Amino acid sequence: MQRPYIITINNLSKVYTEKYSNIQYKALDNINLNIEEGDFTAIAGPSGSGKTTLLNIIGALDKPTSGEVMIENTPLSTLTATESAQLRLKNIGFVFQAYNLIPTLNSLENAEYVALLQGVPQNRRRNEILQILKELRLDNLANRKPSELSAGQQQRVAVVRAILGRPKIVLADEPTANLDSKTGAELIELMKTMSQNLGITFIFATHDKMVMEKAKTLIQLHDGKII
Amino acid sequence: MNTFTKIGWRNITRNIYRSSITIAAVAVGLASLIFLKSFIDGADRQMVENYTDLLIGHIQIHKAGFQKNMGLEKSISGPEALISSFKSTPGIRYAVARIKDFALASSPESSSGIMLFGIDPTAETKISILHKRIRQGRFLEKDDDDKIVIGRSLADHLKVATGDKVVLMSQGADGSMAAAAYEVCGIVEAGAEEIDKGLALITLKAAQELLVMGNKVSEIVVKADSLEKIDDIKEILKSKVNTNKFEVLTWKEISPMTYQWLQFDQVFTGLILFIVLLVVAAGILNTVLMGVLERTREFGIMLALGTKPSQITKMVTMESLFLGLFGVLIGSVAGLGLVIFFGKIGINLSAISSALNSFYIGSVIYPRLDAMSFCLYAAIVLLVSMLVSIFPAKKASRLSPIEAIRHI
Ligand SMILES: Nc1ncnc2c1ncn2[C@@H]1O[C@H](COP(=O)(O)OP(=O)(O)OP(=O)(O)O)[C@@H](O)[C@H]1O
Ligand SMILES: [Mg+2]
Repeated sequence: MQRPYIITINNLSKVYTEKYSNIQYKALDNINLNIEEGDFTAIAGPSGSGKTTLLNIIGALDKPTSGEVMIENTPLSTLTATESAQLRLKNIGFVFQAYNLIPTLNSLENAEYVALLQGVPQNRRRNEILQILKELRLDNLANRKPSELSAGQQQRVAVVRAILGRPKIVLADEPTANLDSKTGAELIELMKTMSQNLGITFIFATHDKMVMEKAKTLIQLHDGKII
Repeated sequence: MNTFTKIGWRNITRNIYRSSITIAAVAVGLASLIFLKSFIDGADRQMVENYTDLLIGHIQIHKAGFQKNMGLEKSISGPEALISSFKSTPGIRYAVARIKDFALASSPESSSGIMLFGIDPTAETKISILHKRIRQGRFLEKDDDDKIVIGRSLADHLKVATGDKVVLMSQGADGSMAAAAYEVCGIVEAGAEEIDKGLALITLKAAQELLVMGNKVSEIVVKADSLEKIDDIKEILKSKVNTNKFEVLTWKEISPMTYQWLQFDQVFTGLILFIVLLVVAAGILNTVLMGVLERTREFGIMLALGTKPSQITKMVTMESLFLGLFGVLIGSVAGLGLVIFFGKIGINLSAISSALNSFYIGSVIYPRLDAMSFCLYAAIVLLVSMLVSIFPAKKASRLSPIEAIRHI
């Protein structure tokens, strides 16, 4: 049975114009793509192939030059800046390549940041957060600042932060790039478990073979085109 | 604590070194502002006190028009009733009657135009401190009706000393030629040129006789309990006399130049306030702006996660509020401490006191602070530290998340 698509991308292109030379560069070239709800999707491709650009547009952080992205049934092009911010807050979790966390907050506070922004009372999520941190062997690091955590630990806290907001989609741009392959593999396993348990759609960019293999769906980008 | 207040607060403590310097700059700025203001206020007050103590008193009552155009025809008859009514008025310390007229003073050597005062020697000591400024001989006493006290420069000009005779010439109230000789019993040195050069004092009785005035006087001089009450007392006195016939003038109206000088002082203080505020503003702006620029990536992540720009603005403003609050707190304590300390021991400026004397300021200045200015300055400094953060706060909140995240 076909699951409903959570993300629909039609004829998406992104053209960058260089500031001084006015040379135009097509970072994304007529992308058509549907992603099912609960999928665990990797976007793979060499450096400069357009992975970050695509994730930024899906995450309503950037606007396409042409084409449309629909999340559930909302076309992103119709949203104002404030509405985009609201959409991100409610529906999309983000994990970036590195230095994801707010330096002045400890692990626990970072983990609950998005939930707090959503207006969830602190005490309602605390037990849940502590439970998850425990499962991830992060509970003894709850009071540490990001500068006192390893890169892998920081990324795990970032994943916890993303899923605690109960998003529909988590976008992760090369979340394992700064990690050794073992730690990277662990992080991807963690994301996969979360995806299965909570039914969250994960999309992550990577150029690491080991990481790609763990994806349910693999999308290959090359020079802005899906191959 | 609110998450953004918490982040703001921790950013202050994260860079404790830079924050301390900023807080210190705010504190030093406010403290020097408070101190300077109270120094100038103290000096101004001393100037007014010394100036009014010397001769002119706080309030003078004349026949209408006397101040503009002095003349014996504008004299007050039967002043005793007015004086005793004034003396019983609450807030008035003392009141005396005087005669005031132009005259010519001559010695065998020379002559000079002077301002002649006829005074009651005992009563006068309660209203002016001229008797304390006698440098040679003594002040007038009761029944010294053939004696005269003159200023130092006048004595030099006339080449007279105590014991010598001086002849006064003027026109009597009846139009007759008035002339009489007096023995110099004292020479006064007030340090103020107008007094030392052009003042002559004889007794009220002698003046009334010389100028054929019967028991009339030219003015009644009133001294209030304190400078602050002068304006109120002026109104009370105006209600006691017929204002068609009399004029009631405060020292500000009698000596507008001196009053303007004080106004100028206040403008000067305002200018310094402005400069200090600029320094404080630049200090805070620098700290907050640097803090914002180096946290570009952090703001980018916060914005990407769905933080509202207004929340970012609030957070950055909080940071400078914290800096401002601490600075104002420390600056207030330091400023107050300085004012209280020097208010007790005074600030000795004897090195330049000869210059100050001609401005009626003594050589030791006691700073004075009024609560109003204190609160006002603290509030202004705090407000400025908040206002200054608007620019960096807006800058942070308007960052594009993608560009900010790429920024390391
Ligand atoms: N702001 C920009 N202005 C101009 N060109 C840009 C801009 N951002 C990206 N590009 C270009 O668009 C192309 C795609 O960039 P993108 O960052 O999406 O690649 P990527 O697949 O994420 O690469 P990497 O694996 O190195 O992160 C690149 O050639 C890049 O130079
Ligand atoms: Mg990239």
